[in-house]
Amino acid sequence: MAKLVGVDIGGTFTDLLSIDDSGEVSFAKARSTPGDLTSGIRSCIEQAEIPLSDVKTLLHGSTVVINAVLERKGAKTALLTTEGFRDVLEIGRTNRPENYNLFFQKPEPFVPRELRFEVTERIGPDGGVIKPLDTGALEDMARKLKDAGVEALAICFLHAYANSDHEEEARNALQALLPDMYITTSSEVAREWREFERFSTAAINAFVGPKVNDYIDDFEGWCHDSGFDGNLYLMRSNGGVMSTPLGRKIPVTMVESGPVAGMIGAGQLGEAMGKPLVVGFDMGGTTAKASLIEDGFPRIVETYYVNGYANGHPLQVPTIEVIEVGTGGGSIAALDQTSSLKIGPRSAGSVPGPVCTGNGGTEPTVTDANALLGRLNPTDYLAGQMTLDLAEAERVMEERIAKPLGLDATKAASGILTIANSNMALAVRGITLEKGVDPRDATLVAFGGGGPLHACSVARSIGISTVIVPQMPACFSALGMLLADMRHDLVQTCPHKLNEEAIDSINESLAELEAEGRERLTESGASDDEIECLFYLDLCYEGQQWTLPTPIEASRLDKVALKAVRERFDELYEGRFGHSFSDLAVNVVNVRVVAVAKRARPSFPPVPARTEGKLSPTYRKVYFDELGFVDCAIYQRNDLFAGDELEGPAIIEEEVCTTLLNKGDRATVDPSGAIIISVGQERSNGHG
Amino acid sequence: MADTAIKEPKAAEVDPITLEVVRNGLLSTVIEMTENLVRTAYSPIAAEVKDFSLCLLDANGDVIMQTPHAAPGFVADLDKTIKTGLDLYGRDGLEEGDVIVANNSELAGQHLNNVAIYTPVFVGGEIVAFAAVRSHWIDVGGAVSGSMSSKSKDIFAEGIQIPTMKVYSAGKPVAEVHRLIETNSRFPDLVLGDMRAQISACRLGERRFGEMVRKYGLDAVKSCINRISDDAETVARNAISAIPDGVYEASCHLDTDGVNLDQPVPLHVKLIIEGSEMTIDFSGMSPQVEGPCNSRAADTIARLGFKFITAPGTPVTSGAFRNLKIVCPEGTIVSADWRAPMGWWGMTINSTIDLMLRALFPALPDGVTAGHTDNIGAGAVSGVDPRNGKMYQTLVPFTGAWGATSQQDGLSAVVSLAQGDVRITPVELREAMFPIHIEQFSLRPDSGGPGRNRGGLGAIMVTKALAKCNYDSRYERTFDPPWGLAGGKPGKITETYMTHEGSDEKIDLPLTAHQFVFEKGDTEHLYGAGGGGFGNPFERPVEKVQDDVVKEYVSLEQARESYGVVLDPDTLEVNAAETEALRKKLMDSAAG
Repeated sequence: MAKLVGVDIGGTFTDLLSIDDSGEVSFAKARSTPGDLTSGIRSCIEQAEIPLSDVKTLLHGSTVVINAVLERKGAKTALLTTEGFRDVLEIGRTNRPENYNLFFQKPEPFVPRELRFEVTERIGPDGGVIKPLDTGALEDMARKLKDAGVEALAICFLHAYANSDHEEEARNALQALLPDMYITTSSEVAREWREFERFSTAAINAFVGPKVNDYIDDFEGWCHDSGFDGNLYLMRSNGGVMSTPLGRKIPVTMVESGPVAGMIGAGQLGEAMGKPLVVGFDMGGTTAKASLIEDGFPRIVETYYVNGYANGHPLQVPTIEVIEVGTGGGSIAALDQTSSLKIGPRSAGSVPGPVCTGNGGTEPTVTDANALLGRLNPTDYLAGQMTLDLAEAERVMEERIAKPLGLDATKAASGILTIANSNMALAVRGITLEKGVDPRDATLVAFGGGGPLHACSVARSIGISTVIVPQMPACFSALGMLLADMRHDLVQTCPHKLNEEAIDSINESLAELEAEGRERLTESGASDDEIECLFYLDLCYEGQQWTLPTPIEASRLDKVALKAVRERFDELYEGRFGHSFSDLAVNVVNVRVVAVAKRARPSFPPVPARTEGKLSPTYRKVYFDELGFVDCAIYQRNDLFAGDELEGPAIIEEEVCTTLLNKGDRATVDPSGAIIISVGQERSNGHG
Repeated sequence: MADTAIKEPKAAEVDPITLEVVRNGLLSTVIEMTENLVRTAYSPIAAEVKDFSLCLLDANGDVIMQTPHAAPGFVADLDKTIKTGLDLYGRDGLEEGDVIVANNSELAGQHLNNVAIYTPVFVGGEIVAFAAVRSHWIDVGGAVSGSMSSKSKDIFAEGIQIPTMKVYSAGKPVAEVHRLIETNSRFPDLVLGDMRAQISACRLGERRFGEMVRKYGLDAVKSCINRISDDAETVARNAISAIPDGVYEASCHLDTDGVNLDQPVPLHVKLIIEGSEMTIDFSGMSPQVEGPCNSRAADTIARLGFKFITAPGTPVTSGAFRNLKIVCPEGTIVSADWRAPMGWWGMTINSTIDLMLRALFPALPDGVTAGHTDNIGAGAVSGVDPRNGKMYQTLVPFTGAWGATSQQDGLSAVVSLAQGDVRITPVELREAMFPIHIEQFSLRPDSGGPGRNRGGLGAIMVTKALAKCNYDSRYERTFDPPWGLAGGKPGKITETYMTHEGSDEKIDLPLTAHQFVFEKGDTEHLYGAGGGGFGNPFERPVEKVQDDVVKEYVSLEQARESYGVVLDPDTLEVNAAETEALRKKLMDSAAG
């Protein structure tokens, strides 16, 4: 049976999900080994008893890039740059994001100053050559790089987005002299202006390049030895997948994989169920993540900060917009110096973990709060892997939180969840309302170990009326990979006034990007008729800086399309910011082409309708804010059939995941296996 | 008498859970407002540079919460503006949908570019709060493009003053006020665009705050706000109590007031710590000056310095300053007559805060930094762009350097104390937008003050004009360098010169240039000051000095002369014997 397999390496676990032509699904989970990432995959494959020779397509998301960046374990990297601009990576944007912190430290560049070299050359903002490249200096440069033991080189010249000739020329010359050197050019990873952001992207690409190449070598070698001769794809930050040769060239586009794949899954699920507006909600051990998904695909951000804005490095890599808050199951609740109750961002992680898991945790966590309120099965936690120590959790809750605040342990636990849920709700609100989307029109798709447990409460507090809990919510990222298309987001800075005079130049850029996108896809095995291209202009009102990607309905601009795109921009702007300026001139900053090769979607087996018997829940005491402790119906997800209807308060348990319905919530089991929950409305207790 | 009592956290008059939910909701609101402003703002100075601030204020005009993600220089300075509006209109004179604009110097006390926009938040027909955004408008008229002349002698040369006016009344635009603003700026589109962005951010704040009040009730929200302020007070008191009681003073000079180039301006601060209270006394500051370094910003300056010391990690609320007393007679450089010129007020802010840190050094040796570059903006050119016939000006924040601390080297290439998350516009954008060519923008070796911990390096920026234009500048620390602490040495001073096209001859530039004419090809060479060092440079570990030389932060000569470290010029290996001998000799001669 030809199989489709998705493997997601996460921080703690590696998940594998496989589906064959008949719709047979299997799943495996193994611990991730940071030093040997492929070992987790191997044990998953062994566990699932999948002969690799049966696998037609293997999709893979890995933490190899993000680990290398965060742990700063990459290649010895040098930079070759325009004369006069040796310190772009170190100067950055000169800001100090922690306003009042006298001890703030800038993030350290990935290339130290002694390995940052200048060469005479200069391109102007219009792409014209101001000073030719001093090719004579390159031989000496090659010698210096070799003597210094440099393994990777980023070639970053000013205005290379407008003209990459010098970068290419320098690369060709140096590669000929240094055949083993891993070389990246800034224009190859990003063709947008803003030198610090682009140089940073190229430097990180070079820094991780050799390591990722070794990783792919290992992985492909092992695949080959195991008899695999199908297609291997890598998950990218833009929610698409790419072939391994491309992964070797632009590994920096793989920084985010797991969370992004989950959001792709959420979008596909929403689309399949006729929900155009979806919020993907993923809650794990240390954080909760959310993305806004419109018409099946999440929003993309142009600049992503790896390790966060204040202390991180910018990447000019289109990345699915995922906002993150420090509230996961392991997030610690603690009182600060003013006796205020704070949740996260510190997390107990998996070691020592929450107090109730008995592994030595000494501070109460969100999971402990859930456990004390009866929301987690105390005798069958994590698919029976452990029994919860509620007495110890209560003692710690009492001592650390309840007593100092003058509450009892139950009220403290419910308060912790209220605050955690409210923090997550603010994050979700941030990505909906702020962008002109009314949350009441959205559907929340909940996944990750904790997502379904908190989703209905989060949804209720911001007025989202529908929550969907997919099948296998705890390994939804691996599932999302199976649904991802091959995708390239190509961007070219191309500053113009949006008027008829610019049409030719814009069309030229569109054509170039389209050709490149098609080429990349066909090289990866897609046939021409599978390829679809989407065309955008990043527009702003004259004098503005921030741009909105605005779709062009045609593949090229003409007078009609020009007028249409202008009107569409006003509309989008109005939707997002509540006002627009149809009388102001509009500028084009970037031209953007998204090239997609759709992959066949696997079909999952439907859940049959109930033919006999009826729902027969068990009961245990569970606490709800407005009800106190009540006998709450507990259902097993495996026992549910299509069409079954459940009413909150209720709990649905399945392997490693729990879904909570509050009073007023009603759930239906969809034939697809997803649980669709109609969320009860929150009552306002305020005045007016 | 020292009041040593630390205010205990108050008993839970507010439900501790609702408190956190409201606290996080308020913070998230000001952050959302900030993002909205950044995305909709017109001029680069708001969108890329983030030279703005915003906050929510209560019905009396006291700050509830200020955004943590913008220029810290505007700390808690919007209250007076809103209180004045309340006095002027009265509560009955304000309607839902009103938008008020103000920048007049008597009220705002800072340069006229900083224009406040605010809106009342109504719930159930009653004002429950205000949303406010102050943002640097790129030009509000006056003698020079950008409105910041380094030579102006009164406020009237610096642009238009808008003395609290409604720019929207009950949701309808007031056409006269729009026309007035439009007519008085060299860049009316940008200015009006920024104003719209400010309004849009305020509207978002109104909606969010209104939703919160409707959800939890006004009384509950008010109690939470009071508790948030009390908490901020507790944190501030704890921080001050940790500083030994005493009187701490420091002095320095501004290079010039901009007009009288040969007369340094004396600055002096006196800080008195008594228990959990701090008094900041500006009585010793220079009297008001002729040039534009004046302000009426004593409160803002004091609060900003206080914030650095007391509670760097928490958002600003009015309660954070209850244990701060400010003493400042009228007529000083920070409490000037409203008619005094204020275009370059920021120079005085930075130096004064820097002084506060210096004054506290004996009390808080591990809690302060050595001297900073204390500049605000790099030299700017302006004119008409021959490519499109439009007026332009190129102001960007100055790339400065920070002093070292007892724990670490100073930061290189960063904005000043008052600027925080303010960001420089990328070279690629500047060259695309303006007729300039930037030949160099890199670190300035040897500029950091030597010390056990080295001061940060300043930056070199070389900018060539591609068309005839006017050059304006106002640089600081051109005579007195950023100071060292604990035996650390000062950083290099700020230096600048110009060259003509095709010539290497260095021509002096005035340190405060006013509409100085640059011909096509004229080039400004700016060498930014470095931060002061901390501790004895001869105690800097030899391998750190060596690493600095390898990285060319420090030259071989400076390693030898300032750090007593001898390296082989070819291999950069340490010559241990010579180093030991040289360090001993230099230390002996320093001691002798």
